[in-house]
Amino acid sequence: MKNVIFEKLRTVLVIATILSVLSCSNDDDLGNLSDTIFVRHKNADMPAYIHGNGTKKVFLIILHGGPGDTGLSYRFGTFKNKIEKEYAVVYFDQRGSGMSQGNYSENGISVDIMAEDVLALVKVMKRKYGNDSRFFLMGHSWGGTLGTATVLKDQNEFLGWIAVDGLHNPSGMYSEYISTFKKVAAEQIELGNNISFWEGTIDLANNVTTEYRQDHFFDMNNRAFKAERRLVADNVINKVENDSDTFFNYNFITTFWNRGNTISILTNQGLWENLSYTNRLSEIKIPSLILWGKYDIVVPATFAQEAYDNLGSDIKELIIFERSGHAPMLSEADKFAEELIRFMNQNK
Amino acid sequence: MEKYILVILCLFVITSHAQNKMESTTSFLDKTEFKIGYSGNIIWNNGLNFGAEYLWKEKVKIKERKRGQKRITHQFLFDGNLGITTNFATKTDTGVFTNYGLIWRRTNTKGKQISIALNPLGYYRSFLPETYEVKGDNVNKVFLPGRGYYAPSISIGLGKLRKGKKRSGSYFNLNLMLRTRYNATTLPSISLQYGYRFNFKKRKQ
Repeated sequence: MKNVIFEKLRTVLVIATILSVLSCSNDDDLGNLSDTIFVRHKNADMPAYIHGNGTKKVFLIILHGGPGDTGLSYRFGTFKNKIEKEYAVVYFDQRGSGMSQGNYSENGISVDIMAEDVLALVKVMKRKYGNDSRFFLMGHSWGGTLGTATVLKDQNEFLGWIAVDGLHNPSGMYSEYISTFKKVAAEQIELGNNISFWEGTIDLANNVTTEYRQDHFFDMNNRAFKAERRLVADNVINKVENDSDTFFNYNFITTFWNRGNTISILTNQGLWENLSYTNRLSEIKIPSLILWGKYDIVVPATFAQEAYDNLGSDIKELIIFERSGHAPMLSEADKFAEELIRFMNQNK
Repeated sequence: MEKYILVILCLFVITSHAQNKMESTTSFLDKTEFKIGYSGNIIWNNGLNFGAEYLWKEKVKIKERKRGQKRITHQFLFDGNLGITTNFATKTDTGVFTNYGLIWRRTNTKGKQISIALNPLGYYRSFLPETYEVKGDNVNKVFLPGRGYYAPSISIGLGKLRKGKKRSGSYFNLNLMLRTRYNATTLPSISLQYGYRFNFKKRKQ
C-alpha cells in the first residue's frame, strides 16, 4: 500500500516538476529580456531576437546590412554590454536573411515588402509587450535603405531614426565609388601607405564604365572592403573588434545561401541602379541621428552629409567617427554607444 | 513536377511490392532492416534519424580466386526515414523530416559496403518558436507554427555488414537534402548520418 502511495506521489511530483519547468517564462522579466519570436508576414517567417532592458518599454530595432546579413551578428560588446543595459534591442533577421524562412516567388521579396515586414514586426512587438511599447529604428549599411523605406511608409511608429553608415541612395553608390576611390587613394599614396594597392584602386576607378554596370559595381564594392582593411593595417582607422558569438546561432550554409539569393534578386530588381530616397528624405520628420565613419569606403561618407542636408527632421544630428570605416559601432564602440544612448535618452 | 514524381514512385513501389509478394516466400521481417542513427552537421544542426530498408532485389556474384571466393552482393532496397533535427543554440531551425526512395548497395566479401540512397519523396516540416501572424492590422498567435517543404534527398555512404547478427551493420553517410520552396529558392542542407542497422529476422534452424 505504502509503495502504491509512494509511486503515485512520485508521479505527481514528476508531472508537477515538468509542468513548472515548462511554465517558466521570462515574459514578465522585462529587465532582462531574452526572447525569440517569429513574425509571419506575407508568406515569410522572420525571427526577432529581443535582448536587454525592456523596463522602459523602449525598443531599438536593428536592421542589419547586406542585404542578407544576420540580425544577431550585431549583438557584440557595444550592444550587449552597454546598449542592452539601457534599452531592449531587437535583432531582426529580414526576409530572405539569416534564419528567416518562407515560401514566396522572387516577386515576394522587394524593398517595399521588406519595409512592410518591419512595420509588421512593430505590430507584433506591441502585441507581445503592450501597446505602450515605443521604438527607435536603426539601420546599418543596407539597413539604411530598408530603414529609410520603412520610416517613409510610416514614421509615426518610431521615436527616432538612426542611420549608421546607412545607404539611403543605393543608385548613387556607383559614381561615388569612383570619386571616393580616387580621392582616398591619392591621400594614401601621398602618405606613402600601401602604394601599389592604392594605385591599383585608382586603376580600377579609371577602368570601370561611367554608367552603371553590375560587374563593375561589385568589383568596386569588393575593393571598398579591401581598402578599409588596408586603412586598418596602416593605422588610419581603428581595427574592427567584433566579439559577437553568433557562430553557433546561424547555419552557415543556410545564411550564405539566403544572402546570395537575396542580393541577387534585389540587384536584378535594380537596387543599385535605380533606387534612391534622397529626394524623399525631406518627408522624414522624426528625430534623426546619422552616425558615420569618416573613412567609410563601402558606403562613402559623402552620403552622411547628403542625408543630413536632406532630412526634414527638426531634430537631426550628424556624428562623424574620425577613426572608423564602415562599422563605427565596432571600431569606436564606446563613442558609438555613448552617442546612441544619448540620442535615445533625449528622444524617448 | 513533384506531383508526377510522387505518383510514378508510388506506382513503382506498389507494383514492385506486389511482384515481390508473389515471388517471395520470405516474411517481411526477413527482408527488412531497421536503422537508427545520428543525423546532423555537428556544428549547427543535430538530430536523430530512424528508418527501415526493405530488400527488393539482390544479385550475388561469386568469383573463384586463388585466395578464396570473392563474393560481391548488389542490392536494391526500398528506403524510408523519419528524422528530427534542431539547432540547440537558438531553436530557430527545428524540423521533422521523412523521406522515401531506393538504395543501391554493394557489399564485398569482407562485408564492407558502399551505398547510394536516392529519396525523391521527401517532406520537411519546420517547427518555429512563438510566432505571430500579421494580416493588415490584425496580429494573431500561430498555433503549431512552422512550414512544410518538399524535401528530396540523396545520400552517399560507407557501411559494414555484420552477417547473422541482430545488429546487422553500421553506416556513415553524407546526405544532401533540398528544401523547396525555401524563401524564393531551394535550400540545400548537408548532414552526416552515422548509425546502426538491426533486424528482427528469425534465426534459421
